Amino acid sequence: MAFGRNPAEFDPEAPLLDARDVRVEIAGEVILESASLTLERGELVAVVGPNGAGKSTFARAFCGLRRPEGGRVEWKGVPLASLRGRRLADVRAYVPQSAQVPNGVTVESAVRIGRSTHLKPLQGLTAADREVVAQSIARAKMEGFEDRDLSTLSGGEMQRVQIAIALAQGAPVLIADEPTAQLDLGATASISKMLRELVADGMGVVLIVHDLALAAAIADRVVVMSHGRTIATGTPEAVLTSQLISEVWDVEAELVQKEGRSALHVEWLERH
Amino acid sequence: MLVALVAAICASLAFGAVEIPLSDVFGTFFGDSVPETSKQIIEVLRLPRTVEAIVVGAALGVAGACLQGALNNPLASPDVIGVTGGAGFGAMLIIILNPASVALLPISALAFGLIAAGMVFLIGFTGRGGGNITRVILAGIAIAALFSAATAGLMSAYPDRVPNAVFFLVGGLTSTGWENMETIWPYFAVGFVLAAFMIRPLDKLMLGDDVAASLGSRPRLIRLVAALAAAILASAAAAIAGLLAFLGLVIPHLVRLLGGTKSHVFVMPVSALAGAALLTAGDTLARTIAAPQELPVGPFLVLLGVPLFLWLLRKAV
Repeated sequence: MAFGRNPAEFDPEAPLLDARDVRVEIAGEVILESASLTLERGELVAVVGPNGAGKSTFARAFCGLRRPEGGRVEWKGVPLASLRGRRLADVRAYVPQSAQVPNGVTVESAVRIGRSTHLKPLQGLTAADREVVAQSIARAKMEGFEDRDLSTLSGGEMQRVQIAIALAQGAPVLIADEPTAQLDLGATASISKMLRELVADGMGVVLIVHDLALAAAIADRVVVMSHGRTIATGTPEAVLTSQLISEVWDVEAELVQKEGRSALHVEWLERH
Repeated sequence: MLVALVAAICASLAFGAVEIPLSDVFGTFFGDSVPETSKQIIEVLRLPRTVEAIVVGAALGVAGACLQGALNNPLASPDVIGVTGGAGFGAMLIIILNPASVALLPISALAFGLIAAGMVFLIGFTGRGGGNITRVILAGIAIAALFSAATAGLMSAYPDRVPNAVFFLVGGLTSTGWENMETIWPYFAVGFVLAAFMIRPLDKLMLGDDVAASLGSRPRLIRLVAALAAAILASAAAAIAGLLAFLGLVIPHLVRLLGGTKSHVFVMPVSALAGAALLTAGDTLARTIAAPQELPVGPFLVLLGVPLFLWLLRKAV
């Protein structure tokens, strides 16, 4: 608890996020051995890796959803351990992989809950808060859906509401865990475009994603994870080489990028 | 709902074994000249009882809303955290083993309600994986069974004293003046204040633990505090009015079905109003229908509440 102590100031010069050698154990088992990631303003970093590599665990750890057993995490120069409650909510927003969808809750009231960290207990939303809620809904491209019940939304729409809730939080960083995993091609493309717009507005975005072609197309940098470690970081072209894909995923494949389009040419079956 | 509550309060003050015109009811409060007997009946008997009905009804409504939100389970009521079983046992201890000191009944019911809830929280919220909803609920069922068995044991050991206990077990209010409320009110106050501060956190929890955590909350802590508020309110309610836990289950559902929203900003205060209105109206009916005989309000409310609840349930799905 930070009561009675002067909370450390955020450093505007420091990277938004600096996570180093993060280690997580669950029930004595090492799930994450050593994972590192930095994020600057106006940057989209994609975290890729096979199932079970520790991507989600890493994200939950540096977001403060699960206390790491080792390593160092700093948000704008302030250690994660000293960030609690409102101050943590002010610096990063986390969009979970699968949403809990209560019925009897409208899109607008859900996004208002996202704004609730800015309110004192028992106090209502101010005009400025309502404005932020409306903007968040607009930025997530959910205008016109304000009065729809959450349980009537499609997967893509629900994912956009989750992002709107996170945006209403007003944090400069958005961490999204597989936001497009369940979505069709069109919904995936529209979420991707939306995330790029947020980055263009100066936000930092960490995207956990399986689709290497998508990661290559929309990320400024890619972090590759394997067996609980981050093993490579850099631009998609530099990192996602055929050799690395072969080592990490055990698949022969080539990433092809041309005129803003990307594809992964995979050798699905062995040639005879 | 507010209108319903005001109507119920007026009826509660006016009707009973002796009918008092509403003008006299208002007269009592505004210092007009009113027959002395009417004034006595209202000030000494009916006003305390009406206040008890309002507070207990509101407490049960809020306790149910807190628990259903905290455990994210529509079946949650003060039963599932052991309060009902504990309070029942606490009351039986006094009624059966120590009938001479019946004045201690509310204290004993309150204490054992809180003890039972404390045991549930100890098992449910501590250690690795503490705060897991299934664990809390299962612990609650086990503890409730333990206290029910103890209660049943007491009752079979002293079968001749069981009739005295029936009124408590089925739940009901009595016209005993301000005495009980004077002891118990701080618990109501603490419970209501805690619950009010949990409104917004419970709304966050409604969107999932991860979203609540993203918003800087600690889901486990929200669950614990909300369940604690419910335990205090339900124990205090049991101390005053016996076992009326059914109200705690049904009222938040009624409110959600009628209001069409799950948001606690709506459900929590309206559950308080609805609980107060329902118990006040039910108690008035229970003591007027067969006056001067008083029916226990517990079964009476169940008779009233269940058809209404079932009708709404069918309409909503």
